[in-house]
Amino acid sequence: MRVTNTVPDMQYDIQLSQQNLATAQQQVATGLRVNQPSDDPTASASMILSLASSANVDQYTSNVSSVLPQMQTADSAVSSIVTSLNSAITLGSSGATGTSSTTNRQEAATQVQGILSSVISAANTSYAGTYVFGGTASTTPPFVAASTTFTSSQGSAASPLTPTTTLKAGSVTTISDATTGETMTFKAAAGDTIATLQTAVDTAVSNGTLSAGTTATINAGGQLSIATNSSTAGIVVSSNDAALGSMSAVSDTQVANAYAYVGNSSVNSVQVGDSMSVATNVPGSQLFTSGTNVIGSLTGLISALQSGTSAQIGTATTAITTAIESIDQQRIPLDNTISQLNSQESYLSQEKVTLTTQQTSLVGANLADAASNLSQAELDNDAALAAAAKALPQTLLDYLK
Amino acid sequence: MASLNSALSMAVQSLDAATGAIQVTNNNIANANTPGYVRQVPVFQEAKPGEDNGLSTGSGVVLEGYQSVRDELIQSQIQQETSAQGSANAEQSSLQQIQSTFTTSTQDIGTEMSALFTSISSLSTNASSTSSQTAVLTAGQNLATAFNTASNTLTSQQSGLDAQVTHDVSQINSLTKQIAALNPQIVQLTATGQDGGTLQDQQDQLVLKLSALTSVAITQTSDGVTLSTGNGTALVVGSQSLALQTKTGSNGTQQVLDQNGSNITSSLTGGDLGGTIQTRDTTIPGLLNQLDTLANQFGNAFNSAQKAGFDQSGKAGKDFFTVSSTVAGSAGTIKMAITDPSLIASSSDGSAGSSGNLANFSAVQTTNLPSGQTPTSAYGSLVYNVASLTSNASAESSATTASLLQLNDQLSSVSGVSIDEESTNLITYQQAYEAAARVVTTIQSLFQVTMSMGTASAA
Repeated sequence: MRVTNTVPDMQYDIQLSQQNLATAQQQVATGLRVNQPSDDPTASASMILSLASSANVDQYTSNVSSVLPQMQTADSAVSSIVTSLNSAITLGSSGATGTSSTTNRQEAATQVQGILSSVISAANTSYAGTYVFGGTASTTPPFVAASTTFTSSQGSAASPLTPTTTLKAGSVTTISDATTGETMTFKAAAGDTIATLQTAVDTAVSNGTLSAGTTATINAGGQLSIATNSSTAGIVVSSNDAALGSMSAVSDTQVANAYAYVGNSSVNSVQVGDSMSVATNVPGSQLFTSGTNVIGSLTGLISALQSGTSAQIGTATTAITTAIESIDQQRIPLDNTISQLNSQESYLSQEKVTLTTQQTSLVGANLADAASNLSQAELDNDAALAAAAKALPQTLLDYLK
Repeated sequence: MASLNSALSMAVQSLDAATGAIQVTNNNIANANTPGYVRQVPVFQEAKPGEDNGLSTGSGVVLEGYQSVRDELIQSQIQQETSAQGSANAEQSSLQQIQSTFTTSTQDIGTEMSALFTSISSLSTNASSTSSQTAVLTAGQNLATAFNTASNTLTSQQSGLDAQVTHDVSQINSLTKQIAALNPQIVQLTATGQDGGTLQDQQDQLVLKLSALTSVAITQTSDGVTLSTGNGTALVVGSQSLALQTKTGSNGTQQVLDQNGSNITSSLTGGDLGGTIQTRDTTIPGLLNQLDTLANQFGNAFNSAQKAGFDQSGKAGKDFFTVSSTVAGSAGTIKMAITDPSLIASSSDGSAGSSGNLANFSAVQTTNLPSGQTPTSAYGSLVYNVASLTSNASAESSATTASLLQLNDQLSSVSGVSIDEESTNLITYQQAYEAAARVVTTIQSLFQVTMSMGTASAA
């Protein structure tokens, strides 16, 4: 073949070797084999999925870190309640003996009142603004001092509420009973009136959600009055209905040593793995009022110590023993979750390593290869330049003198 | 009988031939680096033989003319390959810019999507935390912005390419005009039996430039070269050039019309124009559709999750994203529908502390969209498409570059000027000239001898 001009070929060779050199340099400098998607389309697409998984694992780890202290806080609150209840048993047992004097029993009653306060305080434990035993109604304290009578802010003697007053559809009225430990939730449907609410209260009484004697009536002042006739336990009422206005306790009707649970029984869960979610709370209703009413058993012991017989004190003390057994039963899921979270934490850190390894193999450069590629590319570039420098200036004219 | 006179005229012919050859060599050396120059060689022929006493004798040399050393086959292969290169380069340069938007960074759609899901997960550990709620809104906003940015990159590339179409068409028109103008001159020259020479070189060079813009079919006729586009639309016929026109089409992009006003946009292939139209009308719309579908389906899936729950005040959730009702344009217009953090419907039972509905949000990440893929996989496919289109265009561009280099080597092996070769030719013709000049001086001295014949005998 007749060769006329070697310049374009030389230029192309130099260009090519410089491109290779630049690529090799970039791989060594960044440590990455894939610097833009077109370097390896398949790896780039896989990388998207892998990075998403990594971000999830990081978040799961962070979820574990934020949930774990909350669960531990709940667990230690439960432990302190159990300790308190054990002291109450000791006080009850000594008060139940026939030799115990009235004064002694009154003193014991006062001490049990102190225990009740500390149990309520533990049951109202919050972590980072979340009341850990309130179910999903965790923005307000779940155990609230109960009163016998609540009245609506709407309604007056001049313009009284009547049974035909229409409630706002979708509004919610709740009545939490300290004795039963349960809550009646009334959600108004379209067309519901105060009479509908009254019927609902009667139904709740008859099915045992509310204690007998709980009524909803229109009082002389024209307001809706929701009240219980129990002198030892009370209720807590709340409503967001515009027709009723807010429900507030009538002063001087607060019942001593009675607390109603205003939380709910819902459980929140948090994802800590691709297919693993853990319940992050045990609702107070489940822990303290399901089966045995823990608060109620303390209230019972206080009144037995204050005015009961030895036998009644003994019965009240036994009720607390049952309450401890119940708590021990109910806290098992809580303890299980804590140990699950601990093991999930180490699984996640392992998973993170696996994903990082995967990502390195997808887009990372093997440094040894990259380094040897770089020196090879340098050598090639040198050779291309040297060859060009040698061959380009040569013409026949150099020799024709 | 051979005379000194005829010998002298034969020597003068030799001098002329050698001068002509030196002239050609000189021109070759002068144009050694001129693009498109085809080397010329002198065509020598023996002069018609003379008759001398019944003997036929040679009458010297005649310089018939100059011949350009062409190879039409390689020339046409180069034109085709140039079209392919023009097209690949146009696609590659657009896609290179597009792919930077889809490169994993802190702001690409994949990262922002992932960040939105992690912010949701983080919110589930404390559903009523305002800071976590705000983080979800910020992540949502960032994702919407990432969708908007990607969509803008694609559409602004598209409008850049649209402007390129107009530019290319005007260049094509200018080139076809010049090519047509050369046709009659070349025809006139070749009619007299001469080589097209310089004019032909110029025309070939213009056709090559035209090939870089669009692929053309070339036919040689008695009126000179006839050019037409791939689908047969005539561009040059004899001395006439048929200008293409551009017009804004119903979809808002520039359409290419032929002389008669017929739309030939979709039939144009090859060259910068072909690649530009391909990228503008097929590649980018395909990617945009994929992006819009993802934005639309993702936005709607998120809105469904939001509507399944209750906000902090216990009200049923409203739309999270504002999503276009049609798929087209979804990525460009998607934005946050809520700005109040308390409106995130994290609750499943209406209580503020419930995080039950967040599971519906998280499920969007692992549930197939109507497109049949999870959002992350769908984005992965989009990235794969962008990457493989870019990678193919780059490979095509490199391949055509290498192939063109090869073809140009072949062409220059036929038509290129070799300085070394011209140097040796120069020596050859110099020697020929010197020898002929020697013949002239020899004959001159013979004339003197002849003229002094009488004098010598008298003396």
